[in-house]
Amino acid sequence: MSDWFMFSLLGLVTVGASVQVVRATDLVHVVLWLALSLVGTAGLYVLLDAGFLAAIQLLLYTGGVITLMLFAVMLARRDGGAVPAGGSAGTLRVLPVVISLLVLVVLAILGGGAKLGTAPVTPQQLGATVMDDLMLPFEALSALLTAAMVGAIVLSRRKDA
Amino acid sequence: MSGPGLEAWLGLAGVMFAIGLYGVLTRRNLLAIVVSVELMANAANVNLVAFSKFGGHPSGQATALFALALTVAEVVVGLALIILVARSRKDLHADGLQELKG
Amino acid sequence: MTPLLLAAVPVVLPFACFLLLGVVWPLRHTGRPAALLSSLVAVVSFLAALFAWEGAPGAGEPALTLTQAWLVHEGVPLAEVGLRLDAVSASMLVVVTFVAACVQVYSLGYMADEPRPALGRYYAWHSLFVVAMSGLVLAPNLLQLLAAWELVGLCSYLLIGYYWTRPSAGKAAVKAVWVTRFADIGLMSGVVLLYAQTGSFDWSAEASPWVAALLFCGVMGKSAQVPLHVWLPDAMEGPTPVSALLHAATMVAAGVYLVVRAWPIFAAAPDVLLVMAWVGGVTAVVAAVTATVQTDIKKVLAYSTCSQLGYMVAGLGSGEMLGGYFHLTTHAFFKALLFLAAGSIIHAVHSNELKDMGGLWSRTRFTGALFILGSLALAGLPGLAGFFSKDLILEELFHAGLYGPLALCLVAAALTPFYMARVVCMAFFGRPSPGAEHAHESPSVMLAPMMLLAVPAVVAGYGGYTFALSLGLDYHFALTPVGIAATALGLGGIAVGVARYGFGRLEGIDLPGVARFVRSGPMDAAWTAGWRSVFLPVAGVVGWVDRYVVDGLVNLFGWGALVLGDGLRGLQTGRVRDYLYAVAVGAVVLAAWGVVGGAS
Repeated sequence: MSDWFMFSLLGLVTVGASVQVVRATDLVHVVLWLALSLVGTAGLYVLLDAGFLAAIQLLLYTGGVITLMLFAVMLARRDGGAVPAGGSAGTLRVLPVVISLLVLVVLAILGGGAKLGTAPVTPQQLGATVMDDLMLPFEALSALLTAAMVGAIVLSRRKDA
Repeated sequence: MSGPGLEAWLGLAGVMFAIGLYGVLTRRNLLAIVVSVELMANAANVNLVAFSKFGGHPSGQATALFALALTVAEVVVGLALIILVARSRKDLHADGLQELKG
Repeated sequence: MTPLLLAAVPVVLPFACFLLLGVVWPLRHTGRPAALLSSLVAVVSFLAALFAWEGAPGAGEPALTLTQAWLVHEGVPLAEVGLRLDAVSASMLVVVTFVAACVQVYSLGYMADEPRPALGRYYAWHSLFVVAMSGLVLAPNLLQLLAAWELVGLCSYLLIGYYWTRPSAGKAAVKAVWVTRFADIGLMSGVVLLYAQTGSFDWSAEASPWVAALLFCGVMGKSAQVPLHVWLPDAMEGPTPVSALLHAATMVAAGVYLVVRAWPIFAAAPDVLLVMAWVGGVTAVVAAVTATVQTDIKKVLAYSTCSQLGYMVAGLGSGEMLGGYFHLTTHAFFKALLFLAAGSIIHAVHSNELKDMGGLWSRTRFTGALFILGSLALAGLPGLAGFFSKDLILEELFHAGLYGPLALCLVAAALTPFYMARVVCMAFFGRPSPGAEHAHESPSVMLAPMMLLAVPAVVAGYGGYTFALSLGLDYHFALTPVGIAATALGLGGIAVGVARYGFGRLEGIDLPGVARFVRSGPMDAAWTAGWRSVFLPVAGVVGWVDRYVVDGLVNLFGWGALVLGDGLRGLQTGRVRDYLYAVAVGAVVLAAWGVVGGAS
């Protein structure tokens, strides 16, 4: 029963924060609400017996990505003057799409057919999978990250000395 | 079965994804759009991890790990581009980028 | 050489000559040498045709053919093209090449004053005509005949319009093409219908009477039957030798030849034959009446030709082939003779008009004698060629019980000698007009062909028996009441003519009333009115359909593409959010397909 309680609490926090992400008007507020949403997600991971992933989530997402975004907001504000977040527009045409998607998701869930197992996943198992079966994607990912870093630097470099 | 089952988790992830999609399609500021994309990616990860738990297989978590790293890389490049746009156009208004109008 | 190869000579040799004269323009521009070459080729062609006729299979024997399959599809050709030598085609080939050779030799003298390049052109067309006419005569099926028919029409156009600096000549050439083309609508429809019904262009196949009727439409045009005869008088704009060859002896006879050739088709269509008999009879009379009031000697002969063609058609309409075909051959000889003699007169007095002639008997005795001989043959004087063939037609009509057409032909039989006597009297006797005072006889190069033609004009009639035998037909000459009546009418016609126009009287040239009516050109007026009221509106409608429906359909596709492009362009707003929206919509559609559609 406590599972349901934690699930509901964390779910509410995460969803609430998400709603605020898409509603807030100040960009800094938006990023901060995103941070809360990501933290809530980390909690949800713990509930899902994915402690390792929760730690990584906190480190990378809330630590790295949020910092990056805050920096980007500040830099954009400095370079481009006032940067209004702007309200929402075109809700009329967007709602049908979003609602259809939700309906489809519900239908898919109710369709069932997932293979279920019970053994919990340990970090050892996760590590073995990554380092063994997924070795190639792992190496490719490191190359990709390098490329992304270099690319970002090259792109944002000022042309004048 | 005590605690929320797979369906509840998938439903939660679906709601988060839908909210993120709403944000992507609705917001007028480029940065806000990128943030909303983050929400969608996050929801997908939740989905993957839930399958890992209820399926008893580590591949879900492994995929979520990779997806997380990829999302970070994508944000890095995306933000660099946004800074470029802010420099040249002096604002981040999404509707201002109309050069590809046919 | 085999008869078949000999028969190929009139097709191959003049074609080579035509190509030579057409391509090697220095040769053509030499004038007289080109003329001599063409004439030599024509004479050789005649000799070859003569020997081919001698060796040709008779009736009842299978025809000799030399053909090539044309347009083969899945092993089956559309038609065979080549040569077919049998009794009918061999005899006609002799007639055609004989007259052609005579005319070409005659032209050496008649056209001697033409500028040299023009003369070369003239002979090039003449050679082409021999090719076309031979190809028509020797055609193994209706398809080749049709092709040669059109080619012959082209030659007619080219030669009528020879004096192209004269506007009237150009108009006459175009008029000939228009009228025969109009008639050829029927002809081509008939050939197509034949193919549709029997799967071949062969004339021995079983076909419905409609085929015969449609083919006869084409005959009416080419062989100048009323009301499609209006082009023939205008065709006299061409040089006189051309009138002799094309518009008296051979081309206009092509229609009659077609009927003879495709006889199985016509024999199976008695209704069409009945119509033919009446049309022929009417043509014979109407043309004869018109001939009596003409002042141009060539026009008289033109209408006379038209009248005689009516005779031939009527003869065929009686259900018997021999009369019409026999008359075709005899007519070719004496009418060509008459035209060439007329040309000789024209050459002497430098005018076509009868009023510019007179008293030529003493000055151009040879021409005069030959012209009178031809006139008597035409009039059907007993003993000369025309008598036998005309009589045969009248007998056939009588035996078939076609008394109406018979009566019309008898009237024409009376008028023919009358108008010929008129011409003879006005040209050769009486006081000469100022222009005729200094007339002199023609050179022998012109007189010789005329004399050559005079021979068959006299004796061809006696060959009727062998002629019929070669065709496998029955022929007995017998003096019947019909024949006696016709002869009496003929002699009477001569008498009346001589009496009226006399041996010296130039007065009283025309029959009053008739002349006025005929000169008003009622036929031409009727055709023009019909053209304006029917043909041009129809053409307008067809043109409208072509421009707005057919072209409109095509243009619609272009317009549709433009509109679609412009419309789709609206999707490319250039705005990021719109593109994101499109991606989202696409993703939802795919997801829907995955969830609801494919249940994999």
